[in-house]
This record gives sequence, C-alpha cells and structure tokens, in this order.
Amino acid sequence: MSTTTTSSQTIVRSATTGEPVTTTARRNRLGIWLCIVSDATGTVALLISYVYLWSLNVNSAWAPPKDRFAPDLPFWLIVAGVVLAAAAMWWGVHGMGKGDRWQLILASALSSIIVLVTFVGQIVQLSTFPFAITEGAYASATFWLAIGTAIHLSVVLFLTVAIMNRTRVGLFTQNNHSHVRLVAMWMTWVCVAVLLGAVVTTTMKVSPNTNSPTFGTFSD
Amino acid sequence: MSIVDERPTAEADEPEEPTNRPEPSYRLREWLSRPYVRHILILFVILTLAVIPAAWLVLHFMNLSGAPASAVMYEIERTMFVFTLASAPVMAITAAILLYSLLGWGRVRGEEPPMQESPAIRSNPIAIVGWISATSLLAAFLVIWGLVELANITALSNGTTSANEQPNTAKPLDINVTGQQWVWTFEYPDQQSITSDVLVVPIDVPLYFNVTSKDVIHNFWVVELGVKIDANPGAITNTGVTPNKLGNFNIRCAELCGLHHAYMETQIKVVTQDQFDAWVREMGGKKFV
Amino acid sequence: MSTDVILTTDIHEQMGVPQPRQRGKAGGFLRHTNVLTGSALGIILSVVTYAIGSKLVPWGTQNEDYSQVGLNALVGATYVAWVIGFMIGIGAFAGPVRWMMGHDITHDDSEYLAGKGQGKWKYWKYTTDHKVVGLQYLVMALVLLGFGGFFAMLIRTELGVTWSEVFDPNFYNSIVGTHGIVMIIAMIIVIAGPLGNFIMPLMIGARDMAFPRLNALSFWLLFAAVPPLLSNLLLGGIRDGWTVYQPLGTQAPIGMIGYQICIITFAFSTGIAGVNLITTIVTMRARGMTWNRVPIFVIGILAAAIMGLVWFPMFQYSQVLAFSDKVVGSSFFIPQEGGSVWLYENLFWLLGHPEVYVILVPAMAGLLELMVVFLRKPLFSYKVAVAGIAGIVGLSSVVWVHHMYLTGWAPSAGYPFMLSTELISIPFGFLVLVMLGTMWRGKVWSRLPMMTVYAVLWCNIIGGITGVYLSDVPVDQYMHGSMFVVAHFHFMLMGVGLFGAIGTITYWFPKMTGKMLNERIGSIGFWVAFFGFQVTFGSMFIAGLQGQPRRVLQFDNAFEISNWISTIGAYTIGVGMLIFLYAIITSWRIGTIAPANPWGSKTLEWQTETPVPLDNFPVLPVVTSDPYGYGVPDPYDAIERKMTDENVKVGA
Ligand code: HEA
Ligand code: HEA
Ligand code: CUA
Ligand SMILES: [Cu+2]
Repeated sequence: MSTTTTSSQTIVRSATTGEPVTTTARRNRLGIWLCIVSDATGTVALLISYVYLWSLNVNSAWAPPKDRFAPDLPFWLIVAGVVLAAAAMWWGVHGMGKGDRWQLILASALSSIIVLVTFVGQIVQLSTFPFAITEGAYASATFWLAIGTAIHLSVVLFLTVAIMNRTRVGLFTQNNHSHVRLVAMWMTWVCVAVLLGAVVTTTMKVSPNTNSPTFGTFSD
Repeated sequence: MSIVDERPTAEADEPEEPTNRPEPSYRLREWLSRPYVRHILILFVILTLAVIPAAWLVLHFMNLSGAPASAVMYEIERTMFVFTLASAPVMAITAAILLYSLLGWGRVRGEEPPMQESPAIRSNPIAIVGWISATSLLAAFLVIWGLVELANITALSNGTTSANEQPNTAKPLDINVTGQQWVWTFEYPDQQSITSDVLVVPIDVPLYFNVTSKDVIHNFWVVELGVKIDANPGAITNTGVTPNKLGNFNIRCAELCGLHHAYMETQIKVVTQDQFDAWVREMGGKKFV
Repeated sequence: MSTDVILTTDIHEQMGVPQPRQRGKAGGFLRHTNVLTGSALGIILSVVTYAIGSKLVPWGTQNEDYSQVGLNALVGATYVAWVIGFMIGIGAFAGPVRWMMGHDITHDDSEYLAGKGQGKWKYWKYTTDHKVVGLQYLVMALVLLGFGGFFAMLIRTELGVTWSEVFDPNFYNSIVGTHGIVMIIAMIIVIAGPLGNFIMPLMIGARDMAFPRLNALSFWLLFAAVPPLLSNLLLGGIRDGWTVYQPLGTQAPIGMIGYQICIITFAFSTGIAGVNLITTIVTMRARGMTWNRVPIFVIGILAAAIMGLVWFPMFQYSQVLAFSDKVVGSSFFIPQEGGSVWLYENLFWLLGHPEVYVILVPAMAGLLELMVVFLRKPLFSYKVAVAGIAGIVGLSSVVWVHHMYLTGWAPSAGYPFMLSTELISIPFGFLVLVMLGTMWRGKVWSRLPMMTVYAVLWCNIIGGITGVYLSDVPVDQYMHGSMFVVAHFHFMLMGVGLFGAIGTITYWFPKMTGKMLNERIGSIGFWVAFFGFQVTFGSMFIAGLQGQPRRVLQFDNAFEISNWISTIGAYTIGVGMLIFLYAIITSWRIGTIAPANPWGSKTLEWQTETPVPLDNFPVLPVVTSDPYGYGVPDPYDAIERKMTDENVKVGA
C-alpha cells in the first residue's frame, strides 16, 4: 500500500495505536474466542459436578427432601430469553453492516430489555426453588447452575446496555462496529451455556444409582 | 537507524548434500574414532555401571523395616528394581554428555561474547531418529511392564494367589476398615463382628479389605505389605493382600486428615492360624458386638 | 505495507488519526488512583462489610452442619469486599465504565496510562506498559518466593527437630499448605509474568501486548489475591495442604476462606494473562516472523498460556464450590449430604496436573533460548523442540488421574492413565534431546545462566525418572503420599522450575533492569543452593523409600537420620538463596550499567536499546530468518567433504 495519504484516510484507524481498526478487530475477536474457551471450561466444571453427583447419589442424598425437584418451565423460559436476546443482537449487527444505525439501536435496546427481564426471571427462579441450597447435592448443583446463568446474564446486560449507549452516541459506523459483533458472539456462547444447564437440570433428576452405601458403614 | 534484520537465512551457509559420500560403515567408524565420541562412550559405560548399584540400594532402603511381607510388596519392589536398571542408561547418557559439555569441549571465560563460534549443527536425522526410537522403546517396555504388573497385583490384592504363587484355596478373610480422625478400626464381620484397633491376621490367608471413613479422607497404608487405598467418606473401597511373613508391621495413614494425621498409625500383627483363632476367641469372649 | 514502519509518535500526526474528545487531563480518573487508594478503599470496604455483616449475622450463628456458618459468611464477604474495593480503588473499572458511557480514550490518555512522564511512580499505578507490568510481576514473584522459602525453613526446622514438636500441629499443617500454594503461585508467575510480559513482546517485535489494560488488570488481580492468602496464617491457617482435599477443608478455620478467595481471584488473573499472551503471540509478531522463526521461548510461553487458560477454571470452580460449601452450606463435597470427595479431586487435578507443565515448559524453553547464546551454536532441531512442547501440551490434559490412582475412584482407570502418563516422557525426552544436541561439541562460554542449564538438566533427569516410577501404579501403591513424592516434585518444581527461573531471569536481567548482575556473588549463591538442594531432596528420597508419609510433623525413629540431613541441606539452600537475592538486589540498585546486547544474542529484544523506549522499537523490525544463526561450518564436514572428493578420485 504505497499510496499513503488518500488510502490511509479511508482506512479507519484506532485512536490509541494508530493501527487500522480491522487489525484490532481481528485481535479482539481472537481474544473473545479465548475468553469463551476459558469460560467453557468453567461451565463444564459445573456440568460435571451436576452429572457426576447425580450418577453417584452418595449416601442416597442426591434428591432434595420429599423429591421436590425444580419445575422445568422456568429453565426453558430463561433459555428462550437469552436466545431471543442474542438473535436480536445479531439482527442489529446485520443492520449496522448495511449502515442502518437505528436498527442497531433498536436491536440493542430490545436485547437489553429481554436480558433484563430474563435476569429478573433468573433471580425469581433462584428465590422460588422448592428447596434450599443446603438440602442435598441436587439442590447445590442446581443452585450453582442457576447462579452461573445469573452471572452470565449480568455480564451480558452490561454489554448490551453499553452497545446501545455507544450506538446512540454514534461510535459505531458501517465499517467500524466490530465490538457489536463480538458482543453478539459472546451472547451466542451464553445461549449454549444456558442451554446445556437447562438440558441437564431438566433431564437428570432421579439418580440412577439406588444402592449407594450408607455413610460411615458397610451396608447399602 | 534501521534495525531490519540482516542475518543470513538459515539455509544460506549449509553445504549442499554431497551425492557420493563414503560408505555408511566407513562413516560410522570415522565417527567412532573421533576423540570426543570415544570419551563420551567410555563415560557412558562408567556412569551406567555406577548407577546400577542404586537398584539394590533402593531395595535395601525399602526393606529396612521388614518388607516384603506379601507377594504384592514383592512385585512392587521388583518393579522398582527393574525401573532403576532400565533408567540407568538414560541417566548415564544424559550425565555423560552434560559432563563432557561442561569439561570436554572447551570453555571460554570473560565478559565479552566469545569471538569463536561453535559448529553450526542444526539437525542430525540419525541422532533424532535414534533418540526417539530408543526412548519410545524404553517407554513401551516400562508401560507394558507396568500394565502386566498392575494386572498381577490386582489379582494378588484380591487374594487369589498365595505366597508360593499357587492358587489360594484358603477362604478369604473379610475385614472392614474404618478410618476416623485419627484412629483405625478393624471389624471382622465373619468373626461375630469383633472389632479391634490393631489388625491381627493369620499368615497365608487372603485378606479382603472393605475400607471407608467416618469423616474425611484417610488412606489405609500397610507399609511392608504394599497395600494402600483411600478411606473415603461416603464410599467403600476394596483391596486385599495375602501376608506371607510373620511379624509386626506398620499401618500408617497416608492422606492428610487434619491435626493428628501424623499420629494416625497402628500395627498389623501377622500371626499363625492357631494364634489368630485364639485371639478371635479371646476377643469374642470379652466383647460381642 | 510501508505504513507501519513509522515511529508511533509520528503516526498520529502523519495519519491525522481522528481522536475522540479529550475529557479533562490525559488519564482522567486514573490520574488519582494508585496502589494506596486501592488498598485504602479495599480496607475501608472490607471493614464496612464486616461491621454491617456482623450486625446481620452475629458471630455465633449456627446451623445443623457447621458450628460457624455465620462467621464463615462474614469473613467470606469481607474478603470479597477487599478484592472489589481494591480493584475499584486502583481504577480497574474505569476502563469498562468509560467504554459503556461511550467516553473512548484518546492517544494522550493511552500514553498516560502507559506511564509516560510519571517516573518511578508508574510502578505503583494501573500502568499498561508491558515493561512496567513485567517488573511488577518480577518483584511480586520474588516476594512470594521469599515467603515460600521462609515457610520452607520453618517446615524443615520442625522436621529436623525430631525430639519434640516445635509448632503445634495446626500451625505446622498450615505452613506446609501455605508453603505449597505460595510456591506454586510464585512459580506459575515467575517466568510467564516478568519475562512473558517484559521480554516476549520485544522478542516478537511488538510495541506492546495485545490488550494493555487487561495486562494491568491481570497483575493487580494477582496483587489483590495475595493478602487473603497470606492472612490465612493469622486466621487459623489452612492446615490441609496445598491441595485442600474436601471435606477436610470444610472443617478448617476461617483462614481457609482466604485461600479460596485467593485462588478464585488468581484464576481470573491467570485467565486474563493467558488471553493476552496468546493473542499477542498469535497476532502481533513482527513482519516476517513466520511460525518457524518464532524463538522457542515464545513457543514455551504460548504453551503455558494455553494450558493455563484452558484448565485453570477447573481449579477455580473447585474452589468456588468449596467456598459455597463452607459459606452457604451447599454440599458438593460433603458426603453425608450427597457430595463426593472424588468430584473435588477430579476438578482439582484437572488443573493440578497441567499446571505443573505450566511451570515447567517456560523454564525449559527459556533455557533452550539462552543456551544457544552461550554455546554460540544454533538450536539443535527447532522442530523437535516444538514437537516436544506440543506433545507435552497435548498429553498434559489426559494424565490427571495419576494423582488419584489410590483413591479407589476408578481402579481400572489405572491402566489407561498409566499409559498416558508414561507417554509424556517421550515428548519430554525431545526437550532433553534438544538440550543435549545443542551442547554437542559446543564450546561453552561459562556464565551463570549457562551453568543453570546444566543444573536444571540434571534435576530434570532425576525428577523425570522418579516421576516415571510414580506413574507406575504398583510403585505408586507404595509411594503415594510418602516423602518420595515430595522429593520427586521438588526436583521438578525447584530443580527445574526455580533454577530455570534463576537462569532465565539472570539472562534477561540486563535488559529488564538496565544493570549487569553481579555474577560472582550470584554464582556463589546459586551453587551453594544447588548443592544444598541435592542433599535435602536426595536424602528425602531415602525417607520416602523407607516409608515416611508426607505432611507429618512427627515420625518413627527410623526416618530421623535422613530428616536431619535434609534439614541441614535446606538451611544450606536458604543461605545460598539469600546470597543470590543479595546479588539481585544490590546489582539492581547499584550495578554497572548494562550495554544493549551484553551476550551478543541475535533475538530481537537485544537489538533495541536499554533501557527500552516506551514504544520498544523506533522502527518495527522485519524478520528474515530464525534467531539461531550462530556458528561456523562444521570442521568435520570439511574432512568428510575431502574424503568425498577423494572417493570421487578413487572411483574415477
Ligand atoms: C514441574 C513440576 C512437575 C513435573 C514436570 C512433573 C513431571 C512428572 N510427574 Fe510429577 N508431580 C508434581 C510436579 C511435577 N511432576 C507435583 C507437584 C506432584 C505432587 C502433587 C501433590 O500431591 O502435592 C507430582 C506428583 C506426581 C505423581 C503422583 C504421585 C502421588 O501422589 O501418588 C505422579 C504419578 O504418576 C507423577 C508423575 C510424573 C511424571 C511421569 C512426570 C513426567 O512429566 C516426567 C517426564 C520426564 C522424564 C521421564 C525425563 C526426561 C526424559 C527422557 C530422558 C526420555 C527417556 C526416558 C524415559 C522413556 C523414561 N508426579
Ligand atoms: C516451586 C515450588 C516449591 C519450591 C521452590 C519449594 C522449595 C522448598 N521446599 Fe517445598 N513444597 C512445595 C513446593 C515447593 N517447595 C509443594 C507444592 C509442597 C506440598 C505441600 C503440601 O504437601 O501440601 C511442598 C512441601 C514441602 C515439604 C513437605 C512437607 C510435608 O509434607 O510435611 C518440605 C519438607 O521438607 C518442603 C521443603 C522445601 C524446602 C526446604 C525448599 C527450599 O528449597 C526453599 C528454598 C527457597 C528459598 C529460600 C527462596 C526462593 C528464592 C528466592 C527468594 C530468589 C529467587 C530468585 C529468582 C527466581 C530470580 N516443601
Ligand atoms: Cu488419617 Cu491421615
Ligand atoms: Cu501430575
């Protein structure tokens, strides 16, 4: 690229390093992927905990008292919430790609509202579980999957609101809106994480192991 | 101003591969005639011989308190012995080259980077292939040995073979081992569930242990018999052994279990069948659980 | 692409990069924050939390399982408040908040953040320059090593005084655990922190790390994580070893919460550092630095960062769940209530094992990088070295069960995991081959960094071979939980990790500090420590063979002699390390000024000036070969060529 002045003015450059923003965008995308990998390991740790304790049923204490397992519907509602929010964000990315700033404002606003509602829903679910966190392994594992979702949702809420605000101020343009895409990517991963949580909590309830030994003795 | 790297590329200096090299055998002989090769080979042999006695030394230390007192422990010691022998050449070749590099190929001192450069050897396919195959073969040997021995001691642990390696016809003796901060309790379910805090067992009878814990993780280690298994709260683990030596041996806890972990030890008394029966009667008479 | 070869300071004028509106003075909120405001806010917030909390949950609150659930929750909240308060106070949240508000930073802001014009004060602030972060990490690592070393001396004192208990069991167990985890943390950061941040970007010809603000974040998170850990000794200790197996940990005094908060925070720090290191290495190499020209040390850092990034969350979650068990009474690891001890062990060792290679690989790679300079030879087979590192990374995640052979978790898992563990010795052997091959026929320039290579190679073989013993299930059935294991891993962690760190840090010391290390004193210290080390842990192997369990403060008379020897050796290490530390500190303060390239090395970091300018390279370098172009044509090749020629004649 030997043509200097003219071409370098058409390239959007990062204010801090002077590099073309496409370069920083590529770098940031790798960064987000790595964050996703790391977060995925953490999520897998929670899923392993759930599934493993379910399969063991140590001291026959997996199930909560009187087998009061959590109802399925709230889990799926929360999944629906994050999926909708992510879809909205992708729709906004699409719009910005065509240069339609209003579509992105609308999309991120919509997304923020959905996430907020879902987050509140998650808190409601946490406070209305028919068991306390102290009541057995199922209760602990389910609580922590839900807490994990709540933490994910609060991060997503911060991101969607920020995107909305930044679009409003006019910081994203047709050829400089990589942040939005990254947020949408992250939201997609959150959908997967929440979905996996919902799948295990709703399909694995009664433990398959019915003859675990009684604690501290040699009898079943 | 410019610090554009002007170093020559890696390939630049390398001579072209000659097409008509001397015979491989000739080249081998030439290589072996180089002084440093000879010195290193001699060093290698000396060091290998020097390391080999370590195999006996290892056994000596393991046997100080009376081991092996079971076939399992015997197998463990045999593995230690073989592994030490097998790793002697690895240690020796590394140490030989290390020492030669330190002392043999010359040294430069001083504050300034030396002017004289060493030969630019970037690779040597023969060395690489040789090393990789040698270590892979060694690793394969160790793995296969390990797998076979593991199968062996698993069989022995479940008490199917007696000291003289004949299938054991004696009826196994079940023992329930409970770890608890910081004592061991042994219960003999088939002997009217008598309990004891010292493990008394008859010689040459397969023992079968069920192990659990009442609080935290302990580890049931019968040192001279080579038995070790965690005592987990909320789970029962199993292992076994057939003692083949009379005497008193150590039982220690080998998993940190709180304040007095260090003192969580007791003894195993390997006695004759008659003494054992007498002991059972005595215990049973006194205490009936 | 001629556009990049321009001074960064000029880019803005020449390109006329449009700037966001400058709000206030450059630096904004971060002008007012530093480690003091951070600590102050952290302390205030935790005191307030404690005060309010103790009104809500009075000390004595109990529930059916734990005598002290209220107190645990209170202490947990206090520690969390410290971390959050500290991070707010140091200004860590300023960036995200500005981003959310749409107040993007300008070039001037970013230069202020990188520490421009703040003199020494920048080391106490949320500074983004990778060179500042590198030095911060170095000092932090030295401080942690100092603590760890001090605890080690206490351990050896107790074990040497065989006739009575010097410490009570609670304190002894706590210092063993604290020594273990402090040392492990120190060793994880000691190379990837200082050298990965300071040297690596220079080595690949970059102007900074990929994410400078995350770089500062990762260091200050580490800084925030340390006080909770060390404070455990004042709050009853952690007394459960560095592994803190559950449910023992739930019985521990409140000091345990400090450990858990430390690990959770530290895991964020490592994760962030990992993202940053990987992205930098992958996307910011100088033009022409293709993957076969990347210095091997950079590959080592990349490998460590990958392993840390992928596996650290396992450890983090094991502690999150343990924290939850202790503080809110959940039951992940409490068997009475359906929890499983094997769950904890698996989560722990899923990181626990890869982590030992996180420590080892950068050390080995750093030594490979520096030995070529002292031997004036190219690296022997770069490809084999890379393959070895790749093999270690690949296998490291499938061997964790070798720490659990005897837990009874899955007895038949012994077979596959014995296989995978012993396979690691093959790629590991690649690294040994590369070391030996590089030494082959090289004339050594005997300087301290090169001497550590020999020391490390020796320890490596001892530690490696004893590791292979342990990986064999039948042998482990005797050795597990004994002093033999302790001796094995000190040969690796200390013999390879710490001595490797000493080698690499002395090698890059002139570039980082601008001073030459006093090598005479440094060498004395190093060799004294090395000698003491052999004695200490050599004799510990014997105690292990005889059957001494680990983590015990009293033991049978049979083990006395070997423990006395170990203790004498340990004090020798202590003396040696103090001498070495003295050399480091005095050289750093009043040493002779270092030239830009004292070793005559060919890697890029030595080609720029010392002290390194703010944007590293006035002109970004372009790379045309790998950095190993040392050496002269092999004289034996000449002989052989002559023979070949004669051969031709004979044949003709
Ligand atoms: C830097 C740290 C480090 C490193 C590199 C290693 C490397 C290895 N470790 Fe070690 N290990 C630890 C740190 C480390 N370890 C720690 C901290 C613990 C205890 C944790 C605790 O419980 O507190 C531990 C415990 C531990 C155990 C569990 C013991 C127990 O508690 O029961 C085992 C068992 O398999 C093991 C095995 C190995 C093996 C096989 C290697 C291999 O990677 C070694 C490979 C290297 C070589 C073999 C030498 C070079 C190779 C050649 C010259 C090629 C030819 C050789 C052959 C073919 C044999 N280690
Ligand atoms: C990297 C890790 C590391 C290092 C370096 C050490 C170093 C030492 N260790 Fe440690 N140790 C562990 C990791 C480490 N240890 C772990 C993980 C455990 C297991 C804990 C558990 O069971 O839970 C353990 C356990 C352990 C035990 C077993 C306790 C028991 O089971 O009862 C003992 C006993 O002797 C011991 C002794 C020592 C000694 C004498 C040193 C000495 O060599 C220390 C000497 C070091 C110094 C005095 C300071 C260091 C250096 C500097 C200040 C300058 C460095 C400069 C640069 C890098 C530039 N250690
Ligand atoms: Cu029981 Cu240690
Ligand atoms: Cu391991």
